[in-house]
Amino acid sequence: MTDIDVITSENAPLVPVVATQPRPRKLRRRGRVAKWLAVSWLVFLTISAIGANSFPYINHSCDQFEKSIDCSTASKGSLVKIEMPPVWATWEEPGKDLPNQAASAGLMGTDTNGRDIFARSMLGARNSLLIAGLAITFGLAIGTFLGMIAGYFRGWIDMVIENVTNVMLAFPALLLIIFLVTFFNDPSTSSAAPRPLWPIIVALVLLSIPPLTRLVRANTIAYAQRDFVVAARSLGAKGSRILFREILPNIVPTLLSFALTGLALLIVAEGGLAFLGLSVEVPVPTWGSMIGSGVTPLRQGVWWISLMPALVMFLTVLSINLLGDVLAQRFNRREAIG
Amino acid sequence: MNRQLQASRRQVEGPLLEVRDLHTHFRTDRGLVRAVDGVSFSMARGASLGIVGESGSGKSVLSRSIMGLLPKRNTERSGSVIFEGQEIIDLSLNERRKIWGREMSMIFQDPMTSLNPVMRIGKQIGEGLRLHLGMSKDDARATALKLLQDVRIPEPEKRLDQFAFELSGGMRQRVMIALAMSCGPTLLFADEPTTALDVTVQAQILEVINEQRRDRNMSVILVTHDLGVVAGHTDEIAVMYGGKLVEKAPTRVLFSNMKMPYTEALLHSIPKIDDPSHTRLNVIPGRPPDLVNPPKGCRFSPRCAFVQDRCREEEPPLMNAEHPEHVYACWYPVGSPVHRERTAQLAAQAVGAS
Repeated sequence: MTDIDVITSENAPLVPVVATQPRPRKLRRRGRVAKWLAVSWLVFLTISAIGANSFPYINHSCDQFEKSIDCSTASKGSLVKIEMPPVWATWEEPGKDLPNQAASAGLMGTDTNGRDIFARSMLGARNSLLIAGLAITFGLAIGTFLGMIAGYFRGWIDMVIENVTNVMLAFPALLLIIFLVTFFNDPSTSSAAPRPLWPIIVALVLLSIPPLTRLVRANTIAYAQRDFVVAARSLGAKGSRILFREILPNIVPTLLSFALTGLALLIVAEGGLAFLGLSVEVPVPTWGSMIGSGVTPLRQGVWWISLMPALVMFLTVLSINLLGDVLAQRFNRREAIG
Repeated sequence: MNRQLQASRRQVEGPLLEVRDLHTHFRTDRGLVRAVDGVSFSMARGASLGIVGESGSGKSVLSRSIMGLLPKRNTERSGSVIFEGQEIIDLSLNERRKIWGREMSMIFQDPMTSLNPVMRIGKQIGEGLRLHLGMSKDDARATALKLLQDVRIPEPEKRLDQFAFELSGGMRQRVMIALAMSCGPTLLFADEPTTALDVTVQAQILEVINEQRRDRNMSVILVTHDLGVVAGHTDEIAVMYGGKLVEKAPTRVLFSNMKMPYTEALLHSIPKIDDPSHTRLNVIPGRPPDLVNPPKGCRFSPRCAFVQDRCREEEPPLMNAEHPEHVYACWYPVGSPVHRERTAQLAAQAVGAS
């Protein structure tokens, strides 16, 4: 569908040419570059997150989880000012009277405790991606199941599911999360044992279920009335078979592209929660808490502590959304052919 | 259940299908839609019946309610459907499922949408075989290939691993036929099987259906709005209007001696190849009846050119014509004095107008 339409509507050639398509090709190439940049950033991030403890390009000379100042590499010798700008931003140094800031450190500088921000960002990716990824996976599984049942069987079960999702949508999300996290965070144990990950995951799953359920329900209704489903029924296929063999494969493309958008949203949501101190415990890095820890120094002109993890988060979310767009387009094209 | 059916198939020598006073009503916000309103007919084994009517005459709903395919919600079905000597209207969904595919199956109107876009052709045909006949994967594939050969698809081996979007409309409809016949049904419904196809392909598809009917001794119910389609391909024709059967006769009898003005109007609305160009097409004025509030008396009366006062008051029952298998529902059928008189009047008017 697309190629010819693009030519006729945008290029509007005087002579209707079908084969020459300079502009779409250029567009497509630009899209392809963006796509590969997005993919390589995500691959780089994932590998770094997994291997953060052993890769040479990440400063792991001391445990970046640790709070203790003694441990931080950058702070050895000079304890007055520990936060150092990124290597490429040392232009701040000559004009100002910052004697201790003669040094610079790492790709992204160091934070107020002298810890390498780049290393912590990669470590933080672990938690951010794990939490958002698990949440969207569970949300997807539960949402798809509920949505398909509601959309296929309709009747009372549809009514129940629809009303429950409505209630969940209406419930103030932040309140729910604060409640969950504080409730399951027993203050007596929190000092000794690390704070568990699952309340925050459960909270995010609960957040992602209603929109996914609605999406799947709407798609299921649309497909359940399609002729091929009626045809399968008329050949004696059972309900479960129709749901999983006929309908599910058809809504997977829509789901995948939506799930990527959801993943991006959840990364941001987790960041927001961590910023408020509601995610994993403080010394363990996540992007949100790193941004949060840089807010006070920001007033003194130390910008990199907040901005660098924010940049990492921005790039990640942008890449995921780009990828979602690419997927959506790809599946749309196939839909148009089929 | 299946064993019963098979036993009855051997014993009962009656009609394959007998429908008695079948009603299918849908509950809607506007009121009760009487899509099928008291239809009775019977059908012999191996026969083919064409059901003809305009859109909204209830012909598709009729075939679906015989099969029991309609959703239970908001649907009221009453009357009796006897298939191979057994009442099937009150079967549970599970029991019906055993009939579907094995005993009855259906070809749908639009081959573009009635195949699963994400499943390979071979697998789609094989599904039913494995489900109903318990075939192994390899057997199902071999049978699927055989079926594709039967419906004369070019390069059948290649098609097994293709997706629906890789096939043309005609090929898809052949796949649908193969799919519907896969489990050897005794009764095949073809719901406007050629409407979505090119005229050149239509005849081929109808021929394939007919061929398979003879080879397999299947009965076929062909639902269409095109009298021309059923003319050459069915033994009997039933004309539906407003949810009711208004005329039914063996094909040859119907075309030589139609009684119902509606049937006649339907036939006249087919353009003829030897008419001069720019000849006005004959249309039936008005719209199909509202099935929520059907007109009083004969349902065709508001649109009938031969309407009399009696038609608007009393509903005509199905009456017998000269031929024993010919029934019609009309007070003043084609050939009656009233009809002849009115025809002459209309002809005079037409001459005066031109």
